[in-house]
Amino acid sequence: MAKELLAEYPRASARYDEMLAAPQAPRAHWQALFAQLAAEPAERLRERLHDVQRQVRENGVTYNVYADPQGADRPWELDLLPFILAPEEWASIEAAILQRSTLLNRILVDVYGEQRLIKEGLLPPALIHGHAGFLRPCHGAKPPGGVMLHLYAADLARSPDGRWWVLDDRTQAPSGAGYALENRIVISRAFPELFNDLKVQHLASFFATLRDSLAHWAPQDGGAPLTVLLTPGPHNETYFEHTYLARYLGLPLVEGTDLTVREGCVWLKTLSGLRRVHAILRRLDDDYCDPLELRGDSALGVPGLVDAVRRGNVLVANALGSNLLQSSTLLGYLPRLSEKLLGEPLKMPSVATWWCGEPAALEDAIAKLDKLVIRPAFPQLRVEPMFGEDLDERGRKRVAAMLRARPSDYVAQELVQLSQAPVCDAQRPRRLQARAIGLRVFACASPNGYVVMPGGLTRVASADARVIAMQRGGSSKDTWVLAAGPVNTFSLLRREIGPAELVRSGANLSSRVVENLYWFGRYCERCDATARLLRVALARFVDDAPDDGADGRAILVALLRRDDMLPKDAPPPTDPELVAALLSAIADETRPGLASGLRELARVAAHLRERLSLDNWRTLNRMARGRGRRARPAALAEVLVELDGVISAFTTLSGFALDGMTRDAGWRFLSVGRRIERLQTLAATLKLALEGAPGEDLTWLLRLTDSIITYRARYSTRPQWLPVLDLLVRDEANPRSIAFQVGGLRDYARRLEDMFGVIGEERMQASAEALAALDPGADLRHGSARLAAFLDDCSGAAHRLGEQLGHRFFSHVGEASRQTFAT
Amino acid sequence: MRLQVEHETHYQYSSPVLLSQQLLHLSPRALAWQRCHAHRLQIEPVPGELGERDDFFGNAVTQFLIAAPHPELRVHASTTVSVAPREREALARPRVPWEEAREQARSHAAAFLHESPHVETWRELAQFAAQSFPAGRAALDGAVDLARRIHADFEFDRKATSVSTPLREVMKKRRGVCQDFAHLMIGALRSLGLAASYVSGYLLTEPPPGRARLIGADASHAWVSVYCGAGGGWVDLDPTNDCVVDDEHVTLAWGRDFGDVTPMRGVILGGGGQELEVRVTVTPLAE
Repeated sequence: MAKELLAEYPRASARYDEMLAAPQAPRAHWQALFAQLAAEPAERLRERLHDVQRQVRENGVTYNVYADPQGADRPWELDLLPFILAPEEWASIEAAILQRSTLLNRILVDVYGEQRLIKEGLLPPALIHGHAGFLRPCHGAKPPGGVMLHLYAADLARSPDGRWWVLDDRTQAPSGAGYALENRIVISRAFPELFNDLKVQHLASFFATLRDSLAHWAPQDGGAPLTVLLTPGPHNETYFEHTYLARYLGLPLVEGTDLTVREGCVWLKTLSGLRRVHAILRRLDDDYCDPLELRGDSALGVPGLVDAVRRGNVLVANALGSNLLQSSTLLGYLPRLSEKLLGEPLKMPSVATWWCGEPAALEDAIAKLDKLVIRPAFPQLRVEPMFGEDLDERGRKRVAAMLRARPSDYVAQELVQLSQAPVCDAQRPRRLQARAIGLRVFACASPNGYVVMPGGLTRVASADARVIAMQRGGSSKDTWVLAAGPVNTFSLLRREIGPAELVRSGANLSSRVVENLYWFGRYCERCDATARLLRVALARFVDDAPDDGADGRAILVALLRRDDMLPKDAPPPTDPELVAALLSAIADETRPGLASGLRELARVAAHLRERLSLDNWRTLNRMARGRGRRARPAALAEVLVELDGVISAFTTLSGFALDGMTRDAGWRFLSVGRRIERLQTLAATLKLALEGAPGEDLTWLLRLTDSIITYRARYSTRPQWLPVLDLLVRDEANPRSIAFQVGGLRDYARRLEDMFGVIGEERMQASAEALAALDPGADLRHGSARLAAFLDDCSGAAHRLGEQLGHRFFSHVGEASRQTFAT
Repeated sequence: MRLQVEHETHYQYSSPVLLSQQLLHLSPRALAWQRCHAHRLQIEPVPGELGERDDFFGNAVTQFLIAAPHPELRVHASTTVSVAPREREALARPRVPWEEAREQARSHAAAFLHESPHVETWRELAQFAAQSFPAGRAALDGAVDLARRIHADFEFDRKATSVSTPLREVMKKRRGVCQDFAHLMIGALRSLGLAASYVSGYLLTEPPPGRARLIGADASHAWVSVYCGAGGGWVDLDPTNDCVVDDEHVTLAWGRDFGDVTPMRGVILGGGGQELEVRVTVTPLAE
């Protein structure tokens, strides 16, 4: 069995093999995993693989690849097999990372403070002044606790002799810790017994340390400090991770427009007014953080943030300006700086790097170009790495000329031959393959010094084994660091909460979240109504649909016209024209209809990721995938089945809202959005129905409003105006009636008024009174002017309430700040 | 010379601005050759928050915030300064060959050696600069020649460029305003490895009898300071007027380029369309 696993596994002659000590001989710390794999039939492995893929898909773990035409939301690639590290080996990595983060922090603090390293000649001034990441407005700000580097990541690689090297430092807003956590949750479920037996170190306490340390260094003003996670938004490549970490750490996820600076302090715009923010864990690049003092050409940041930091009124992690250390130019100077600042040699070497800005280094680099890789010296120079070994004679000459023209822009680096580790492929799970890997490890600052995460993100190279980049389609692995002693099983989710920490209201609900919840409600309802309309209209053309809708065609056409799914000023469509219009409304995102509605819904939902439960996500994801799959023109019956699926998905979503969401202000906004939308659609639909022929069959109307079952249970006759209108207008028990929406909206508005003061729900109250005054005998009939006027009134009241809420609670959201200049 | 400077900036918005945060570089620097006697800022509407501090380059910055909706914003800086002549002293300093000045700049003027957001360097610009710097020539003499050539080869044209026009386009069009010429000269010097900074300030609007009226006097002005090596120090040159700066230039602030010392830079929320009017007058006062 073991032989079969290794039948195609390449012997690593030029690489270090992580799993095998010798051919067929796994290293001690890999033996348990290897034995389990060897003992399992292909089918079981395949099951585990599918399980991993399903979890990744359904949890919505994504990584956006900018260059990918499919663009956003590419599923995260995760291999079934963990990367395993033995305790003693980990101990040396941990010590090296601890030392390195301490050193880098010291350098950063010096550069943004006294600049003694420059004055004493330990750092060439060009490394600082030539780096676009040196943010002059941030110079002189005093970092609380002397810490600027709160979260640090290093990319490591192992050379053929088994030594670890640092390839890169991530000092600005390192990504990957959240993915490492998600990988852990998925893979520990794939091998639960093995995970326990091997005593794999847990990750939770690392995150608790990060969170608690931020709170420790945040400015104190008596109360509990509020920490937020600042994201550039859903278009960022690692947005999934932002939402994931926010949820895991229990921090509000905010965008720049959620924050404002007043009196030199940062405030979160919430429903109940401004709330002081004490610490910001940022995932926004530092030059984008403040359009007033830093880059002004972007609306992502918070105007005035730099000043708030300078005045010591907010902690920003990592400190603004820490991108400065993310430069390969620095690597060559670290050994000397370590001796000087820490009094000890650097424990883990950086991959040999020379900055061509030093004349001797330039000539050396040109002389052995074929063994080196040329990389940009500063991140602002967006140049792809150039491998000397790929160049012919002419190419080398060209590169040499390029280096001589602007030597300070480049570094030359030795290539590290990456080590290899086994991966498991779904096609043939019992034939292990080997891939080059790199390890990203993380450290965070704590009042007791740096702490290293016992684990990390193992990144797996794709085709080009010299480069590892998720942007280039690499994959990842969970990283198992085995414990020498007992495992610390602390869990963030199991932390004891005291009575003083009990939270009831959604006090930190930002205006943006509330606005998005409102629109989420509206779009859900809008898509649901559209899907129902399309289903009723399309069912007429499918043979086995119940033949009770011969009439109503004119009104369906009118409804489709109202919603722009049919052209407004055209002669009545022929049947083929109608079918074509329906199909395009279902599938074509560029035209008004279901597809474009679902796209809007997805956009709003993306902004709510951290607020929606995983179940909500799975439902939304399934809906998106269901639509994406259809490549060929579908039969009408298939399209109907698809519409059924969409409608049941919406029923599921509203079920979650009813049963799974806390009745806080956010839920109320979602519900108000739903009901406003439903009231407006229903009123408009009824009005059109009342304008149709009096003798019309009304089955279509009951189907459209999902009220046919109720009707049939109550009346054995075919639908007639009086009972239908009673059910759809006056019946407060029917969740699809006008009365139900009006009563609900009035109640929600009152509850919001209790919390936030007067909103202005008089018109809804007036509608409720008008409804009570309707006389069934006189008004619930075809052609009633009073009923028509009442329906118009309801629509108007719904519209007005929406406006009032928008004006009161979300007027600033969506509006971007902009920069101005005067000379 | 004692000078009175009035600098008025007036924004009119088509709909009210809800929140305005502004940074001002409008106070004169205290310098060996420049003394400020009076400086007053009037801001309408009155800001809710107002503060002052020094920036990275040692310039005074005023920062304010207006949170009440306002349809217009007026900032009026009124300054009385006296400026001493400095051309003769600058020209009398020891001359340092530009290659030496370049070496010394690496440790003495490192902040002003590199590309910056508004100042790009490229091969054509370096070639343009090189014509003024044959081997062994004094840094100052080369820079004076470079300023002369920019003045001769480029045309002053208010309509040709805006704040965001890239330097390459200025080079191609051979037109621009004082800001463009300052950036161009800085870029040319830096492309040779020499250090140069951007100086923002004013020019005397109505010169004393017998002196010519300088270009760019009815607006804020900008010129260049060049590092001329140990002993040569920093010397200010004005490529727009082809002169060594003397006592008709009032210095507000310096930085790597316009972006570091913009007279008024801000972020607003709301406002719709905006109209901007800037007026500057600089008049001599009796001593």
